[in-house]
Amino acid sequence: MKPSSRRRENMRVISMFAAMLAALVVVGVFQSWSLALAILNLCLISAVMALGVNIQWGYAGLINFGILGFAALGGVTAVLVSVAPVPAAWGAGGGGVIVALMISLATILAAVFAARRAPAGVPRKLLLAFIIIGGYFLTRAFFFPAVEAIEAVDPTKAGFLGGLGLPILLSWVAGGLLAAAVAWVIGKIALGLRADYLAIATLGISEIIIAVLKNEDWLARGVKNVSGLPRPVPYEVDLQQALWFQDWAAGMNVSPVEFSSIFVKLCYAGLFAIVLLVVLWLTERALHSPWGRMMRAIRDNELAAAAMGKDVTGRHLQVFVLGSAVVGLAGAMLTTLDGQFTPASYQPLRFTFIIWVMVIVGGSGNNRGAVLGGFVIWFFWVEAEPIGLWLTDLLTSGLAEDSGLRRHLMESAAHMRLMTMGVILLLVLRFNPRGLIPER
Amino acid sequence: MDGFLNALILLSNFVIVPSMAYGSQLAIGALAVTLIYAILRFSDFAQGDTMAFGAMATILLTWVLQYWDVSISPLPTALLALPFGVLCTIALCLLIDRWVYRFYRRVKARPEVLMIVSVGVMFIYNSVVRFIIGPGDRWFVDGERFIITAREFKRLSGLSEGVAFKTTQGLTILIAFIVVAALFCFLNRTRIGKSMRAYSDNEDLALLSGIDPERVVRTTWIIAATLATIAGALYGLDKSFKPFTYFNLLLPIFAAAIVGGLGNPLGAIAGGFTIAFSEVALTYAYRKFLAYLIPGEWAPQGLVQLLSTDYKFAVSFVILVLVLLLRPTGIFGRKAS
Amino acid sequence: MKKLLIAMALVLLASATASAETIKLGVLFGYTGPIESLTPPMAKGAELAMKEVSDSGALLGGAKVVSVRGDTTCIDSAAARAAAERLVTSDKVNAIVGGDCSGVTIAILQNVAMPNGIVMISPSATSPALSTLKDNGLFFRTAPSDARQGQVIRDVLKERGVKSAALTYTNNDYGKGLAHSIKTNFEKAGGKITISAAHEDGKADYTAEVGALSAAGGDVLIVAGYLDQGGKGIIRAAVDTGAFDTFVLPDGMIGESLPKAIGKALDGSYGTVPGTDSPGAAKLTVLAKKAGFKGGTPFTAESYDAAALLMLAMQAAGSSKSAKLKDKVMMVANAPGEKIYPGELAKALKILAKGGDVDYVGASAVELIGPGESAGNYREVLVKGGKITTVRYR
Repeated sequence: MKPSSRRRENMRVISMFAAMLAALVVVGVFQSWSLALAILNLCLISAVMALGVNIQWGYAGLINFGILGFAALGGVTAVLVSVAPVPAAWGAGGGGVIVALMISLATILAAVFAARRAPAGVPRKLLLAFIIIGGYFLTRAFFFPAVEAIEAVDPTKAGFLGGLGLPILLSWVAGGLLAAAVAWVIGKIALGLRADYLAIATLGISEIIIAVLKNEDWLARGVKNVSGLPRPVPYEVDLQQALWFQDWAAGMNVSPVEFSSIFVKLCYAGLFAIVLLVVLWLTERALHSPWGRMMRAIRDNELAAAAMGKDVTGRHLQVFVLGSAVVGLAGAMLTTLDGQFTPASYQPLRFTFIIWVMVIVGGSGNNRGAVLGGFVIWFFWVEAEPIGLWLTDLLTSGLAEDSGLRRHLMESAAHMRLMTMGVILLLVLRFNPRGLIPER
Repeated sequence: MDGFLNALILLSNFVIVPSMAYGSQLAIGALAVTLIYAILRFSDFAQGDTMAFGAMATILLTWVLQYWDVSISPLPTALLALPFGVLCTIALCLLIDRWVYRFYRRVKARPEVLMIVSVGVMFIYNSVVRFIIGPGDRWFVDGERFIITAREFKRLSGLSEGVAFKTTQGLTILIAFIVVAALFCFLNRTRIGKSMRAYSDNEDLALLSGIDPERVVRTTWIIAATLATIAGALYGLDKSFKPFTYFNLLLPIFAAAIVGGLGNPLGAIAGGFTIAFSEVALTYAYRKFLAYLIPGEWAPQGLVQLLSTDYKFAVSFVILVLVLLLRPTGIFGRKAS
Repeated sequence: MKKLLIAMALVLLASATASAETIKLGVLFGYTGPIESLTPPMAKGAELAMKEVSDSGALLGGAKVVSVRGDTTCIDSAAARAAAERLVTSDKVNAIVGGDCSGVTIAILQNVAMPNGIVMISPSATSPALSTLKDNGLFFRTAPSDARQGQVIRDVLKERGVKSAALTYTNNDYGKGLAHSIKTNFEKAGGKITISAAHEDGKADYTAEVGALSAAGGDVLIVAGYLDQGGKGIIRAAVDTGAFDTFVLPDGMIGESLPKAIGKALDGSYGTVPGTDSPGAAKLTVLAKKAGFKGGTPFTAESYDAAALLMLAMQAAGSSKSAKLKDKVMMVANAPGEKIYPGELAKALKILAKGGDVDYVGASAVELIGPGESAGNYREVLVKGGKITTVRYR
């Protein structure tokens, strides 16, 4: 690339991010700083998630519509790492669950072994069926009593095995690793599929993951949710009572209440920003390495790359695992910020399609674009509601205050959100298909 | 003998009849998905919300008709309103095709891009439906509810089990049959139907032989919109209309289309019934069924349920994934893809 | 983009300056998402109370109360937090009616309401987790916790001679908690739950669930769900297939729309709903009808009561600030004092202004206990001739 065009691109990137920052400042000045920072925090997490998708779609052209599943895996890791273990539950059924899991693992291994080694034909099919059905019922025999015992332990507060009781920040790494491990399995079985089949398959598999998280109460309380996860930053209420903090707030001439809420959000923002910068740096390095160039070569012409002896499926698996790990990391960050894990909240609309809009709008294949997309789209996702209300108000201002149509539209304003997303997505795809910051 | 009959009736009541109705609804939806895939070559994520839109248009006219006291009792009034819903949906689909999809055909965009475009269209339909009719539960069925109720059946047959057959279930199955027959007639007998098949099999060859691609595409949208509206309205009649449920229908419909082999109309129908039957049959508790067949002391104590209903909705995804892995072109799929 | 931002800034400015003489209450419900069909009447219920108070001109010397809606989406706690943050720090609401689903409610409480010291009264978050959560006295709910209802249902079942029952619940924390409570109580009393199966809301086809429930059998079917969600779907499918004749309906299933939708077949089914011997619910239904919406849908009464409690507490505290009013919520909600029903808020405000005491009964028979939640007086109801009739109070 010519230096002049690179400079132009840098200018474009800087001006775009400056505009985004200005938008947040506008929110800070006219709405509130606390809201601006709350939006910023989610922007940062969304940006990390969008980077994960960009690694898969932008680098390699893989369509993963299973983002919700990997985000949920990150989220459940936050619970499993940070919550204190429940000894009573372990005593009641921990052993049974472990035995059951071992049996099911052994079943899978035996089935794989049989599928590979046994002579082909009807006997192999019978053997396979026997192993799978036998394993299923044997697992059930150990699993159900153990689970029932665990879930009976203080069900309103516990009823699950609990976690490891470690600092929640560790879960960010662990969440990425768990997502990577699951992605490896999924990739191993699904990556040979054509693009749109892969999209639907990953969406289906993720729905299965969510179904498991919702219904296996012994693991993370299922739909009963785990709340009150430990925080990596101080609590606002404690800060408000601390003398040093009150002095500090007084020195800055703001109320301790307002300042504590801003201060905590700044702490989170700092942590998230560090993660985002590290991930961004790593992905940029990867993109401009020989590995990244090979990935793009495969994406642009799979046949030619395969003909040149590149291991297309192997590379795809790598990139699928890496991208999913980043999504898992972001999922753990999100659960940390929420302070709770609610499996029912992982819906495809919010955790797959919106993230995709971020990547497309930002610029597929360009990491800085994905980050910008994460910022812009989350901003509109949150602000679409007030903007929608205001627009409806403006458009119907000619109608009488109590006109039925006006009331109906004002009450529907919350649905502006998806409309905005749809219109933005279609406009970008049509008029600027390479996104706000196009790939170099 | 009575035991055997009772077992059969029991299974019909809880598994066969409901699955037939649900399967028909899925099959019509899957037919639309598969047609769009065959001609336009992308997976249409807006399908669920197109169905919601069609059902909504039908409901609105149904309400008007009900207000005017127009009725075709014992059949539901919605049947009269259905053509109106179909026309509205056709208009919408053709408009969206002109404003959105046509551009991507011209630039020969990759199917992945079109699929993502359809996600944007899905967002818009989604909010339009809620703007117009709101997110609430709507109930618009009238007329006779049952062809035969379980109680009547028991009285007539003298058996201890009964089978209920709702008007809407009967209508669903009947209409699905007519629609499918009409569609196959159309594809095999008419000129434009044949050119659609030719276009689907080999685009370049079809273009060489003078087929107008825009005409084929328009026809496809018209048929797909018709199917979507019929599926949506029947589903709403049989259960009830709520926009949110239509989005949730998307995955089972995709599963049905893929299980049968995307692009294959026969497969879509088979896929619809496969998904519906396995969802119900795998999670049904067979205790009572077996109790009728097996004499007293041998009858099972437990529920004899293969899978808890908690995982009912995972069944269609599991089948989907298994089919994708073992036979990616679907049960009826063509070899090359 | 720039123009939009400027325009946005202008409108925000305009809305910020227009708020001089008014009290703002946030109404945080999931207007989009899985319970989007429940929330519009809930919000209207809360806003009905606000309008009543504004029109009376009796609150704090004639203050007007306006509602500021925010969307929790019911499931996405990030979006819910952002909406709450906007309501609290930008619109500067005095207190919040909401949230709705327990998950997002906890997220809002811990991340927005507590740091900013804002009082929340939720009409519908029933999770037992909220009873024990540290809330600095800021959280109340007009919905009872699920634990108590299980005992009431057990008593009803025993008295009616029910020996075995099939049980289905909506797959969320409300349904699961309630199902657990019913099951343990009923089995302790010697009853048998033949099956306890979840159903997902928003899916519309419930054949498989009803098939499993019917195969397990039982004298009655207990449906711990919502009357315009999966709960209704289950009952319809069960009636259509003739699987069960009698249904037991916990609070989420009680409303006039259910007998209307199901018809004759529901006659003879019975259930429990929070309430004491009070005409409150009927009064709200009349008020709601006048205002042009249905008052009988789930949690509408609780929403009206949540908003009313906030405003009465403001009057009692002589201040619209959360820090002050939070200590008065229990006082206005409970005895002693004059009983207050829907439509009588003006009277209550006047009594409080004179330094008197009220016992707000409202539409859902509010009685707050220990950790600021509804006490759990229940009304046993029976569906008779397509109407919900009262059997007795428990």
